[in-house]
Amino acid sequence: MRLGANLVHLPIVRAVAVNIAMRADFDVDAISDLELAVDEACSSLITHAVAGSVLACRFTIGTDDIVFTVTVTSAEDVTPNESTFGWRVLTTLTDDVTSWADQLDDSLHQVHIEFLKRRPVVAR
Amino acid sequence: MRQAATTSQQRHSSHEYDHLVPLFEDLAALDVDDPRREAIRDELVTGYLPLAEHIAHRFAGRGTPKEDLIQVATVGLINAVDRFKPDKGSDFLSYAVPTVMGEVRRHFRDTSWAMRVPRRLKELHLSVSGASTRLAQQLGRAPTPAEIASHLGISKDEVYEGLEAGQAYHASSLDESLGNDGEGMPLGEAIGENDSGIEGVENHEALEPLIRELPERERHIIALRFYYNLTQTQIAERVGISQMHVSRLLSRTLAKLREGLLEGDTEESAADE
Repeated sequence: MRLGANLVHLPIVRAVAVNIAMRADFDVDAISDLELAVDEACSSLITHAVAGSVLACRFTIGTDDIVFTVTVTSAEDVTPNESTFGWRVLTTLTDDVTSWADQLDDSLHQVHIEFLKRRPVVAR
Repeated sequence: MRQAATTSQQRHSSHEYDHLVPLFEDLAALDVDDPRREAIRDELVTGYLPLAEHIAHRFAGRGTPKEDLIQVATVGLINAVDRFKPDKGSDFLSYAVPTVMGEVRRHFRDTSWAMRVPRRLKELHLSVSGASTRLAQQLGRAPTPAEIASHLGISKDEVYEGLEAGQAYHASSLDESLGNDGEGMPLGEAIGENDSGIEGVENHEALEPLIRELPERERHIIALRFYYNLTQTQIAERVGISQMHVSRLLSRTLAKLREGLLEGDTEESAADE
């Protein structure tokens, strides 16, 4: 899913996240956690994106997990610092989160955040 | 006419509570971890319950079920009992009434709909939310949409609609969260001032004042989720609101904190230049 890297598009990405998690029959906590995590990851990257660039989001739906990857183009390597509150939020809400950057040229970087949300194990 | 009747009833009921007043002194005299506290606290909450019911009643007829209002008012009452300091020279009733009213008002504000949502969807949302709470109690964990569907005897698609309808809350909540610090409620001497657990976080210096500005309940919920690592369902049970309400509060509070941190950043770099 490719949208303008602008905060106004966030509700769309959130709605897609909720929809995917609901249809995968994740429990209501996990659905909301995924939504909050998507919100956090996208907004933290959007605020550093080059003006007029693209926000690329990918949802990969597995049998027992959903992987979300978001990528923006930024003037700096803005990989989130792992000791910030935002990172604490992401690690609490998801099961596995990583972030990395690729240098495109002298002035541009592609910054990625990727996380996995596992279907909670249900004792029936 | 009706006004006069209410007033005399109130006057009557404040006498009704006279026997409870000394209990606050008893409670204040006990250590924080004294096991006898629980019993006195329960007696106070139960004793003052008619007050909560009375206030809930005044807000009836605005589309929120009566039981929900009483539940919200009771949460306000429990907070009032916990925070009231008998040595501060004010009596409990004049402290409790604004606290309970504030809690009920906040409930209305938190649960107002941002856009025109058809009545069917609002009702669907409420019944999905209610079923989710009941199932969580039964199962001891958060239910899935399929479980909610079979509990209510409706289709999964309807459950999806009901869950998504909750998102219509968001827009207004964001606007309202600007500068809402409890409308002069006596929330100042907040309990658990330092329970945000952000000390280990690198940007805690920028974050701390933002967290301190949050309404107490939001601050508490943030701490429970991101420091104590409780699930939303566990938080909902503890705070006495629905999981969906917890979800909305977390969402808007995180947005508010992000916005605040960003402003802080901008000011800092402006100062550098």
